[in-house]
Amino acid sequence: MLPRTVPHVTTKDEYLAMGITRRNFLRWSGASAVGAVVFNGCLIPEEELQMESPVDLPEDLVKGIDNWYATICRQDPEGCGIIVRVVEGRAKKVEGNPDFPINRGKHNARSEAGLQALYHPDRITAPLFRDDSSGEFQAISWADARAKLETSLGQLQGRNKFLLVTQPLRGHMALLASEFTSALGGRHMAFQGFDDVTLRRAVQDVFGQGRIPDFDIENSRYLMSFGADFLSTWVSPVRYARGYGEFRQGGHSRGVHVQVDSRFSMTAANADEWVPVRPGGEGILAMSMIYVIIKEGLGHTEAGELLTAGKGYQSLESFKPDDADVFEATGISAERITDLARAFADPDNQPSLAIGGGSAGAHTSGLFNMSAIYSLNLLVGNVGKDGGVIFTPLSPLEDLAKQEVMDTGSSASFRDWRDLEQPDVLMIRGVNPVHGLPSAANFAGVIEKAGFVVAFSSFMDETATMANLILPEHVYLEDWGDDAPEPGPRYQTMGIQQPVVRPFHAGTGSFGDELLSIGDHLGLGLNSKLGLEGIVNPTYQDLLKKGAEKLWREDRGSVKAVTFDGFWNGMLQRGGWWDTEATSKAVIGEGTALDVDWPNITVEGPTGDDTYNLIPFLSNSVGDGNLAHLPWLQAAPDPVTSVVWHTWVEINSKIAEDKGIEVGDIMKITSPSGTVEVPAYVHPAVPPWTVSMPLGQGHTSFGRYAEGVGVNILSVLVPLTEKYTGALAWAATRVSVTKTGRHIDVPRFEGNVPAIEADPGRVIKIASPDHH
Amino acid sequence: MPIKRIAVLMFVAGGIGLGGVLTLLLVLFVARAWWTIPFEVMGFGVPPEQPIAFPHTVHSGTAVLVDLDGNERVDVNGDTMHGLGLDCTFCHRNVDKGATASIPPVEQCMFCHKIVGTDLPEVMKLVAAWDNKEAVLWERVHRLPDTVRFVHEAHVRFFTQSGNLLPSGEQAMIAANVCATCHGEIAQMVEVNQVRSLKMGDCVDCHRDYNAPTDCTTCHY
Repeated sequence: MLPRTVPHVTTKDEYLAMGITRRNFLRWSGASAVGAVVFNGCLIPEEELQMESPVDLPEDLVKGIDNWYATICRQDPEGCGIIVRVVEGRAKKVEGNPDFPINRGKHNARSEAGLQALYHPDRITAPLFRDDSSGEFQAISWADARAKLETSLGQLQGRNKFLLVTQPLRGHMALLASEFTSALGGRHMAFQGFDDVTLRRAVQDVFGQGRIPDFDIENSRYLMSFGADFLSTWVSPVRYARGYGEFRQGGHSRGVHVQVDSRFSMTAANADEWVPVRPGGEGILAMSMIYVIIKEGLGHTEAGELLTAGKGYQSLESFKPDDADVFEATGISAERITDLARAFADPDNQPSLAIGGGSAGAHTSGLFNMSAIYSLNLLVGNVGKDGGVIFTPLSPLEDLAKQEVMDTGSSASFRDWRDLEQPDVLMIRGVNPVHGLPSAANFAGVIEKAGFVVAFSSFMDETATMANLILPEHVYLEDWGDDAPEPGPRYQTMGIQQPVVRPFHAGTGSFGDELLSIGDHLGLGLNSKLGLEGIVNPTYQDLLKKGAEKLWREDRGSVKAVTFDGFWNGMLQRGGWWDTEATSKAVIGEGTALDVDWPNITVEGPTGDDTYNLIPFLSNSVGDGNLAHLPWLQAAPDPVTSVVWHTWVEINSKIAEDKGIEVGDIMKITSPSGTVEVPAYVHPAVPPWTVSMPLGQGHTSFGRYAEGVGVNILSVLVPLTEKYTGALAWAATRVSVTKTGRHIDVPRFEGNVPAIEADPGRVIKIASPDHH
Repeated sequence: MPIKRIAVLMFVAGGIGLGGVLTLLLVLFVARAWWTIPFEVMGFGVPPEQPIAFPHTVHSGTAVLVDLDGNERVDVNGDTMHGLGLDCTFCHRNVDKGATASIPPVEQCMFCHKIVGTDLPEVMKLVAAWDNKEAVLWERVHRLPDTVRFVHEAHVRFFTQSGNLLPSGEQAMIAANVCATCHGEIAQMVEVNQVRSLKMGDCVDCHRDYNAPTDCTTCHY
């Protein structure tokens, strides 16, 4: 047995004798740790020095590196900032730009589908000219096309013989279009499916501001929306939907949302309370609420004085909630109206916010409705405050600010289109008024009578087919642009749109570049007016850079740089420039006295049995029809009915039961203006006095995915207009609805999947196609 | 001066001299490695040993094939064997499509080597990898820093566009010649080695010669 040894324990003194003090110990161990890190960093990880031959052949796997480019979505007028994933020069995916103040990283199905416009098989890829004698389009060169266009523009004589029709424009494109048309002595008109003329006029009347303000849904605690389908299609839906998420679950007390709407929209479906008002009665409901608020002294007394011109609630006596006429017009009981008014003005519910739009403004008394609705905001004093109505400052660029004041961003009213002065040369860019205006406007007739019609279009739509010359435009993912969003995010914002890919087709061109080059050839002096002197053959990008240079000189906001090149790159990378400090200094009007005369709500169409008030609505995916050519959007189910690839008529289920109408029965919808036949969609949340149909389908020409899908319901709308603004009163048509005896299977998501036994004892129940 | 002292001085001077020479050599070595490719000493600059001794000469070369002893190789009929002369893109399929040239997968080698050369020891290694479903890990020869994004496709496209007279006055090349511009005559290398420095100066010189963009963001993005 070995002798046991006692283990030697080193004492403190022994350590000290070796020079190991606490300080030295820490010093050495620190040094060796640093050394380990530093010298390890010098080596390349082993796996990077090897390359793998994978075992299997990945036939379709092309290795690539992705880049994300920021730009602006032009699919709808909201103008969201997007980032696009580009792999090897091909755009692959659209996402929201997390930096962009309007949408802050969110986006919608419409912006997602922009890729399909880029790769669409039916894009026009060369200039087309139609010789009047043959009537057939022939592909011609850009040089020939330009020559023909310049010749026709050069022959213009007299004022207002040239008409430029575009979508509502903002930023430098608005400036360029306006300079171009005024140099030719012509007119510029903006087309939008359901125009916003009445909304703008109401905002002007109530707040004394020409531009649509930011409605701060996010910070509001009590939101009343009159007909505005703000989660789906109204004004700035992505911004509102993001704000709505905060409104509901943003960490403060959950906001209450009341939707006053004559249709059960997607927004109504999300509300805490849906008030199915009688069509056109929205204004009377709002007036009645104003009466209660003033009478009970709930709101700001000064605002009440102003609204009633000092006469007090007595001047609003005819809108008393318990008045029989009020019930007749709104269909809402006196108690309900009083409760709504009290809740809206309740100090615990502040800030509260009232917005109105959609069908609420689309009546002959639309302006009365909208003015009454927006005046509610004055009574609770939310203007210019968080959770209320906040105005956006004008652009930091002087020429753009002037343009914004001149209001070219707003669309023309139906009356403007109907009473259009016949132009000699008509230039149409990116819009389709032949499909999007009711036949009473007779826009097709205007095109036929015009001497020369040129369409800047990427697709052969109904308007382009009637043109003499078609110039194929880049889609927005291939082109330059900028945008001062309206409504803005309450501070100065300049979004920039850059081409994220090279043009997919060789034969397409840029609208902005063409205008500048035509202006140059015709000697319109655009370059000096736009500050582009000294640049040979300036492009639209040069114009944008000129503007950006002025922003750079301001030396403030989200992008700052020593050199302009650095600023420009920074702007392109972030998707734009904004200055959160630059808020509006505008003096908000305190409102004018309300129109206290009982409004004349006119509806036209058949009365009696089987007649209903028709409430059309913008499709959640294909909008007013401008996106009907994109199959992803055609296939995106409607949020309320889940119908795809079709037009349908929504009918109350009680009525349908009485009349023996089932889902898919083809109904004949007749008004004094026309007839359409569409399948029925039956659901319980359709007010029994209305039927509803979505806009946007029934294209006769707009590429393979739009043609022959659904019907164009504009053909049944009677051409009534709003009394003051001339906007189309598109919710003022009565229609008769009768069965044709035919039936189809409506293409829809719900109820088409049979119940399948997943595992024993557990059945997933899904309604069969015949039950709802 | 005593002899001893002189000897010490000479020793010290010699030491300093030797140190100087060594330092100079080290500086030279580092400088050359820094700007071009290192001297072929101490394992630097020599082709790495690959898991399978893949001969590019056989596949993409056209010269007469020789064995390790330098004798001409003959086939079963006694005829002299030549390289196959395959185009580079036959195996490096992604080179004209994407950023990376791509290393062919084992399956692609097996298209031929199911039949061809199954008795050769190096091919047996390949077959074994295929049978065991194992990837082959090659030693990397060309490597650019992570700060650079090199896209093969753009370069191949530029040099091969048909009928394109390059700014240098040359006619467009076939793909194999394009590869050789940077990689050297791989088809004649039994073992692949790097022949150009592929440092930033090298890239920029060439970009200037061909009027290619020289903005920073062309490569660093």
